[in-house]
Amino acid sequence: MKALVLAELLKIRSTRTQVALVLATLAFVPWTAALTIPKKGAENVPVSLDDPRLLGVAIGNSFGAPIVLMLLLGGVAFTQEFRYGTVTSMYLVEPQRIRILVAKWVTLVLVGGVVATLTLVVSVPFSAALIGFRDGEVSLGVTFWEMVAAGFVVMPVFGVIGVAIGALVRNQITAVVAVLVWMLALEQLVISSYPEVGRWMPGATSFVLLQMGPSVDPDGELLSASAAGLLLAAYTAVAVALALRLTPKRDVL
Amino acid sequence: MRARAVELSGLTKAFGDFVAVDGVSAVALPGQVTALLGPNGAGKTTTLRMLLGLVAPSGGTATFDGKRYDELSEPVRQVGALLEASGCHPGRTALAHLRILATAARLPREAPERVLEETGLAADARRRVGEYSLGMRQRLGLAAAMLGDPSVLVLDEPTNGLDPPGVRWLRGYVRRLADEGRTVLLSSHALSEVELTADHVLVLTHGRLLRSSTLAEFRAEAGVGSRVRTPDPHRLGAALDAAGHAYRLVDDGLAVDAPPERVGELAAAHGVVLHRLEGTADLEQAFFRLIQGTDQVAQPESTQEAVS
Repeated sequence: MKALVLAELLKIRSTRTQVALVLATLAFVPWTAALTIPKKGAENVPVSLDDPRLLGVAIGNSFGAPIVLMLLLGGVAFTQEFRYGTVTSMYLVEPQRIRILVAKWVTLVLVGGVVATLTLVVSVPFSAALIGFRDGEVSLGVTFWEMVAAGFVVMPVFGVIGVAIGALVRNQITAVVAVLVWMLALEQLVISSYPEVGRWMPGATSFVLLQMGPSVDPDGELLSASAAGLLLAAYTAVAVALALRLTPKRDVL
Repeated sequence: MRARAVELSGLTKAFGDFVAVDGVSAVALPGQVTALLGPNGAGKTTTLRMLLGLVAPSGGTATFDGKRYDELSEPVRQVGALLEASGCHPGRTALAHLRILATAARLPREAPERVLEETGLAADARRRVGEYSLGMRQRLGLAAAMLGDPSVLVLDEPTNGLDPPGVRWLRGYVRRLADEGRTVLLSSHALSEVELTADHVLVLTHGRLLRSSTLAEFRAEAGVGSRVRTPDPHRLGAALDAAGHAYRLVDDGLAVDAPPERVGELAAAHGVVLHRLEGTADLEQAFFRLIQGTDQVAQPESTQEAVS
């Protein structure tokens, strides 16, 4: 398993696509963090400048783009193998396909940790500086540490789901378009228009865990953190189970 | 290195109602090059993919000394395969591609450099594969197949994309591998591509195995023509015309569609001096006749083009 994981890490390092995706996503991090930090004197804002939760909420919000990134990286980890035909040589190296699937999950968990770290490296100093510049309260309170912990859980989990999506869909364009449309359009639309339905969607669970609620759910209709965590675990389990069941059986033509 | 025999037994694959491979049974032995021949769509690739565990058979078995591919303890060290020249990310260098496979297979660190050297790609090892020609990608596929120094080679249309020097190099390379005692099973849609390399031929069309024989047997049965050298080709040509035998002028005489005994009799009857008379085997024609015998539609593309 260690050899397969090392090979997966080599794959990521040996092409520019994944590195470019990570860098492009990190460029969005300050912008998404800034969305939650109100201007001086702004009224009717979800979290005010003197709220000690503000830094934590900004950090949670900054994980919005990296969530999508992790789904894409996970999906591409498998669909790219089919797109370029490298899946054949990988299955010849390791005919027990489940071992390759597990190696990709382990790799994406590691990548999730790296992406969470990089996100924090960008978002924490930027958010703290912006809050300070606007004379707000910079507090490393409970909310901040909850968001740091949530980032290190949610990023790997979405990487795992992404790999499962890639293993099931196999067509790279279909998988990437589906992830983008789902996360950036469909879920946002459903959550805002039909919150009683949207609260059960996978992305909505991450909004709860990363406490994006104040910015995406001002009416507080999303699930509780514990329910969202359980629901995300259930979605992950279903995706993993389907990938484990179908991957060994499908012909590679 | 202990070479393994490849054995197909009643191998069958159906996609819905379409039977792509229909009860194929055959053996490829160590020390031999076995050619799986057939026109496009005959089921060659599906057969090889079933052998390598990439496609699940609907029936029958495909094994290496009795073991399925997924039952081999170290598959890359036992079986090397080239299935598609494009099986590499275009953004990676050839060296990176091979390092990934070597790492995953727990092969020695120097294995990628060794096979790049063997396949003549060492100078281009650090170029991105997207910049490679089809022939270079084919060589890279061979390099990947040889990474574990396997005792069995499975090559699907290995001459695709190779230029004539590349084809000649491949023939020598494959022949050398078999002479080292390895089992080589390769597919091709043209007998002419393998007649200088193969020891044994398996002819497949419409998913069924039509023929399994040594190339020598195939050649002996196909020996229907003659090559003649004479100082008077026009008189001999007239005699052949009169007797209803087709012929054509070639560099040093005539190529005749009649056995040498018949040509000799005609020359003697017309007092034509012959300097040389030998039988020839047009294997490609014999191969076409064999596959056309089962179905007129089953012509290789080259024949269809020649006809049209």
